[in-house]
Amino acid sequence: MLRRDFVRAVVSVGLLPKALLAQQTANPAPPPPAPVPWTLGLNPKTPLPVTVAADGIAETEASFFTSSQLATFTRLCDLLLPPLDNKPGALQAGTPMFLDFLIGSSPTARKKVYSGGLDWLDAQSKTKYKLPFAQLNATQADALIKPWLRTWMTDHPPTEQHADFINIAHEDIRVATMNSKAWDDAGVAAGQDWVTGGLYWSPIEPDMAGLGATSTHLPPHVMAVPKAPHTIPSYPR
Amino acid sequence: MTETTYDVLIIGSGHAGGMAAKILTEKGIHCLMLNAGPVADVARDAQRKPAYELPYRGFKPPGRLEHVFQASEFNANVWVDEEEVPYTFDASMPFNWVRVRLFGGRSLFWSRQSFRLSDYEFKGKSHDGYGDDWPISLTDLAPYYSRVEEIFQVAGAQDGPPQMPNGNFVPVNEVWSESIQRFIKASQPYNMAVCQQRRAQGRDGLASSVNLLLPDAERTGKLTSIANAVVRKITVDKNTDQPNGCLFVDRLSRREMHVKARVVVLAAGTLESTRLLLNSNLGNSSGMIGHYLMDQIYGPGVTCSVPEARNGKATKQLMGGAAIVPRFRNITTKYDKFLRGYALNVTSRMGAMEPRNFAAYGAELQQKLQEYNGSAFHITVMGEVLGRYENHVRIDKEKVDAWDIPVLNIQTRYTENEFNMAKDAVEVSCAVADAAGFEVLSKNEVPNPPGYSIHEVGTCRMGDDPKKSVLNKWCQSHDHKNLFVVDGASFVSAGWQNPTMTILALSMRASEYLADEMNKQNV
Ligand SMILES: Cc1cc2nc3c(=O)[nH]c(=O)nc-3n(C[C@H](O)[C@H](O)[C@H](O)COP(=O)(O)OP(=O)(O)OC[C@H]3O[C@@H](n4cnc5c(N)ncnc54)[C@H](O)[C@@H]3O)c2cc1C
Repeated sequence: MLRRDFVRAVVSVGLLPKALLAQQTANPAPPPPAPVPWTLGLNPKTPLPVTVAADGIAETEASFFTSSQLATFTRLCDLLLPPLDNKPGALQAGTPMFLDFLIGSSPTARKKVYSGGLDWLDAQSKTKYKLPFAQLNATQADALIKPWLRTWMTDHPPTEQHADFINIAHEDIRVATMNSKAWDDAGVAAGQDWVTGGLYWSPIEPDMAGLGATSTHLPPHVMAVPKAPHTIPSYPR
Repeated sequence: MTETTYDVLIIGSGHAGGMAAKILTEKGIHCLMLNAGPVADVARDAQRKPAYELPYRGFKPPGRLEHVFQASEFNANVWVDEEEVPYTFDASMPFNWVRVRLFGGRSLFWSRQSFRLSDYEFKGKSHDGYGDDWPISLTDLAPYYSRVEEIFQVAGAQDGPPQMPNGNFVPVNEVWSESIQRFIKASQPYNMAVCQQRRAQGRDGLASSVNLLLPDAERTGKLTSIANAVVRKITVDKNTDQPNGCLFVDRLSRREMHVKARVVVLAAGTLESTRLLLNSNLGNSSGMIGHYLMDQIYGPGVTCSVPEARNGKATKQLMGGAAIVPRFRNITTKYDKFLRGYALNVTSRMGAMEPRNFAAYGAELQQKLQEYNGSAFHITVMGEVLGRYENHVRIDKEKVDAWDIPVLNIQTRYTENEFNMAKDAVEVSCAVADAAGFEVLSKNEVPNPPGYSIHEVGTCRMGDDPKKSVLNKWCQSHDHKNLFVVDGASFVSAGWQNPTMTILALSMRASEYLADEMNKQNV
């Protein structure tokens, strides 16, 4: 198709769907070079396939924690946030694997808090009980965790070594669990609307310079919904 | 094509730029507004989503927006990306620069606490000998504050002491809940004035440049706006040596363009205005551009519980409501631990408590959360940061942003005065909470990094002496009659107050002066 026609077709689909459909019959375009002008396929009436999030369906392998760190962390997750009051616990919410991903993608400082903290916790356990942390019972584990719990205000987690790990991990485990699909499902089952929601802002006219066409960073290309016609508000002064 | 010369070029579309556009166009002046970012349309760009549908379950995307503590995965795309528009600082002096480049700037997202400065700020030096007085006083700005408060529909009560001047408010007369009454009684030894909060209600739930200022300007037919125009440099006429427009880069295509105007009004949000002046090598005969960066200390505070509200016993009579305690130190007496002072935001709340207020986990924590639910009482601090020459920004010659524009290097730190203030605020808050019978659950006396308050002001201070200040009392450059800076850069002192009402009033006053001068052909 000529570039001019392409542009016209895209513009009309975006802005004037009805006029376009009318125009197709009343005023046929010159014969297209192929049996179907491909740009006219998608239109505002095209149904959108229904998809769901992979969370709660797919499994992943740990890629950041070592196997012993993962075992320690899994035990810690279960202790800090077990299933309570018909809500899933951290394990049911897939929190250990999610945090393996999140921390593994994070800056070094955060990674160190976790890997250092998990190694320390396991070492403590072996010194005190001659057992890996993953095999401790609740009372034994409590004796290792409790002394490090602190109260603190937003943006100011404890900076003291070990307390930093325990308290930061505790918050992360709670947030990851309470923002999971499993948590929402439990809410729905109890007759609540989804509770983890918020207003999500998509990238706004993302600037794509510097990203090559083959870049994996390239956001999926989605045509913006046409802007709703706005009237200028007028307020009494 | 012939190039149009506009009357006034306005750079920035936030509170400051929006006000300038409204005032100038309503006086019949043709304005061209350039804004670095796109227009945000909530219907197109945002939608409600459950956290689990997002790649990071609502956590801030790792490594992004490290210095925007306010960011989450939900809103990450509205803030300026630190990699796209970087700034540099020494690791020992972190700065949180929180920016929005969407049309309307930060006015789309601010929390709307709305206060006037008082003569304790405008004439601070006369009061305690520190720093400098502003070249204006409350009397000069009061009529403008009144008009701004009307436009922004500021709700408040006429209950302020002299250090928190009253204004033209939509009246509120909330009856204090018992918990706040207890706070008031317990605070008496400190001579605090516990006042109703003051908030801009705006219209239709928004108090932004895009709904309260720009529509008025657009209605005149005299405003032309360009989005995604990243201004690189203000240009100067070779013959007259006066600013005559600017060079900008199209954000998406990287295409370089320029525009012409008789007057340039900078409203790019304090530090971006300063950056532009420094990059343009303009208006700096005093050498003061970039110096005296200030904001407020945020972060210190205490979280308490009202014991009587626990175990499901919270009622509307007992809990709820918000109060502001304006600065009470160094007003009628002199306090020996620091200069100036801080305000307290006081909030009594029926909702859930944050888990971090309890040193417990699992079932024990769950039980605490249930027991304490509905009993939260928060006291947080907003403290004045003193103006210091050495707290400054300059151009970093080594680094550029995504559009090849040299970035800012920020060198600022809090000193003993601020740290002592933070400590005092937490001590006083704990003492008052104790006396009120509240349980203090958690506290913090470490201020967040400078900038966190999102109230950065100064760096192009105003003054009568062109050797010691960048702007005159009309926000007009001492060096160039046709150059104005109408955002927070002109501040001489920061005060404890959130700055936006003052930014708006200053922009309104400067714009009326400019319109007048243009009429008289002085500019
Ligand atoms: C979450 C939050 C809460 C807040 N709460 C309060 C509060 O309760 N009370 C209060 O008083 N204040 C509050 N503030 C601060 C308040 O938002 C700011 O003081 C105010 O909005 C500043 O307005 P401005 O017009 O000076 O700057 P901005 O709103 O930052 O606008 C500057 C504009 O300039 C544009 N720009 C920048 N550089 C360039 C360039 N090179 N070329 C072209 N355009 C450029 C930007 O795109 C931007 O739109 C809050 C801020 C935030 C983010």
